[in-house]
Amino acid sequence: MTEAVIEVQGLVKDHFSNFLRKRFRALDGLNLKVEKGESFGLLGPNGAGKTTTQKLLLGMLKPTEGSIRVLGKSPGDKEALAKIGFLPENPYFYAYLSASEFLDFFAQLFDMNKNDRKARTKELLELVSLSEAGNRPIRKFSKGMMQRLGIAQALINDPELVFLDEPNSGLDPIGRRDIRNIMLMLKEQGKTIFFNSHMLPDVRDICDQVGVLHRGKMVGQGRVEDICRSGTYKELEDYFMDLINSSEEKYRQSGNATPYHIEREGAQQK
Amino acid sequence: MIGAIAANTFRETVRDRVLYAILIFAALATLAGVVFGSLSADQDVRVLEDLGLFTITTFGGVIAIFLGTNLVFKEIDRRTIFLIVTKPINRWEFVTGKFFGLALCVFVTNFAMGLFFQLVIWFQTGNFNSALPMLGSLSLIYLELLLVIAIATFFSTFATPLMSMIFTCGLWLVGHLSFSFELLAALARKNDSIATEKLALFLQYVMPDLAKLTTVRGDMMDARYPSADLLGYVIAYILAYLVILLSLSTIIAERREFN
Ligand SMILES: Nc1ncnc2c1ncn2[C@@H]1O[C@H](COP(=O)(O)OP(=O)(O)OP(=O)(O)O)[C@@H](O)[C@H]1O
Ligand SMILES: [Mg+2]
Repeated sequence: MTEAVIEVQGLVKDHFSNFLRKRFRALDGLNLKVEKGESFGLLGPNGAGKTTTQKLLLGMLKPTEGSIRVLGKSPGDKEALAKIGFLPENPYFYAYLSASEFLDFFAQLFDMNKNDRKARTKELLELVSLSEAGNRPIRKFSKGMMQRLGIAQALINDPELVFLDEPNSGLDPIGRRDIRNIMLMLKEQGKTIFFNSHMLPDVRDICDQVGVLHRGKMVGQGRVEDICRSGTYKELEDYFMDLINSSEEKYRQSGNATPYHIEREGAQQK
Repeated sequence: MIGAIAANTFRETVRDRVLYAILIFAALATLAGVVFGSLSADQDVRVLEDLGLFTITTFGGVIAIFLGTNLVFKEIDRRTIFLIVTKPINRWEFVTGKFFGLALCVFVTNFAMGLFFQLVIWFQTGNFNSALPMLGSLSLIYLELLLVIAIATFFSTFATPLMSMIFTCGLWLVGHLSFSFELLAALARKNDSIATEKLALFLQYVMPDLAKLTTVRGDMMDARYPSADLLGYVIAYILAYLVILLSLSTIIAERREFN
């Protein structure tokens, strides 16, 4: 249980706005370590840099500084990607396909043969309670159905490591419970889970470890049992609020000293 | 992998209503051409054929440009690209798969339009005399359209559909006007403007050149078939262009971030 599945050191990511090449530091000196079989919940207010972190881990963005190892490889490595599942934030899928065609297409990208693809598609549609909608075009799916299909898509290759960006947003209470159960099931199967979320009760149920991002910096990190057992915090939410408040306070006192946070409004939509 | 992406792209294009709208206009234009053609005094079949092939090329180009410029752009815009780039496939497989998917769609529509046109001719003349040269011509048109698809694919990896459309149309047109570079070079030589001459020659060299292909196609309709060498040259030229364009598209797709 000491094998690091995700290892990040000193990760910095600058975004550049197109015209003026204005720099915005979305991530600032992030360190992370997630071990095999662990579930890690990345928390933080809107615009904190959670999605940016996942995109960097998946090789969709290139780091400005720092090192990233995922499953022992650099991000975006094909061999590693074969063992990874990913659900993007607010996923959008090929509207012209049906749900089963969609899953079948992704199964093909993992080089699965026809029989396996068929079996896997059926199994996953059942798992996310979309069996009845399997042949309907995705165009006609509701937001929650899309989210469920997204989860199914992320599990198509029976991944060792799953990245989920807000898997429980946009769902009804039943959907949220279903997704939570699926995540608990994955955990039981020994998969490593890395996910972003605002649903703190779910995070508490699922995660071993949480990290709280604020303005691109990790302002708190710890094991959920320690945080909630310590007595200081009854709920994860109290911990979260406390960290964000004190960090925001510090940020104010420093008189906006961090030179890269130029677009302040963008960083604090909430 | 390439096959899966190509098949999915093909499915996307044939489920696109825009395609059928364009095809309906193509059919109407073909019929209109035949009607006007038969009103002309000498009722020359050759005129009809040229008009028909022109219609097929134009509408094939419209399909290639319209669908092609959206090809990669739509995946980026709708963020479905996130799902693709996080799968264990190479960027060149993605780009090539996209290209072949649309190429297959254009293949089907190109020859379907050709068949429709041949039937109209048959209705007019009662014979299939021009079927063979027509088939040769359609194949060359398809070759030309492949180039248009590749240009559109290339631009769609970094530009918006509107910009891509303008650039692709522009290059396609330039491909048909490649003689103008020669004229420009000659003019520059006469005026002792070496820089302009060099520039014209350079452009003539790097810009797509569809002049030979068009000549061969014209000869074919007059039942003069090209030598294997000439045909080989025309095919090799287009293929080389395709490889270069797809390689450039891959490089762009590999270097860019997906946000
Ligand atoms: N391409 C980009 N160019 C410029 N700034 C960007 C870009 N992408 C993200 N940012 C900025 O980086 C910051 C972090 O964004 P990110 O999407 O990672 O936030 P998040 O934590 O996922 O927020 P949310 O909870 O709203 O999903 C934001 O302030 C955002 O405005
Ligand atoms: Mg986010």
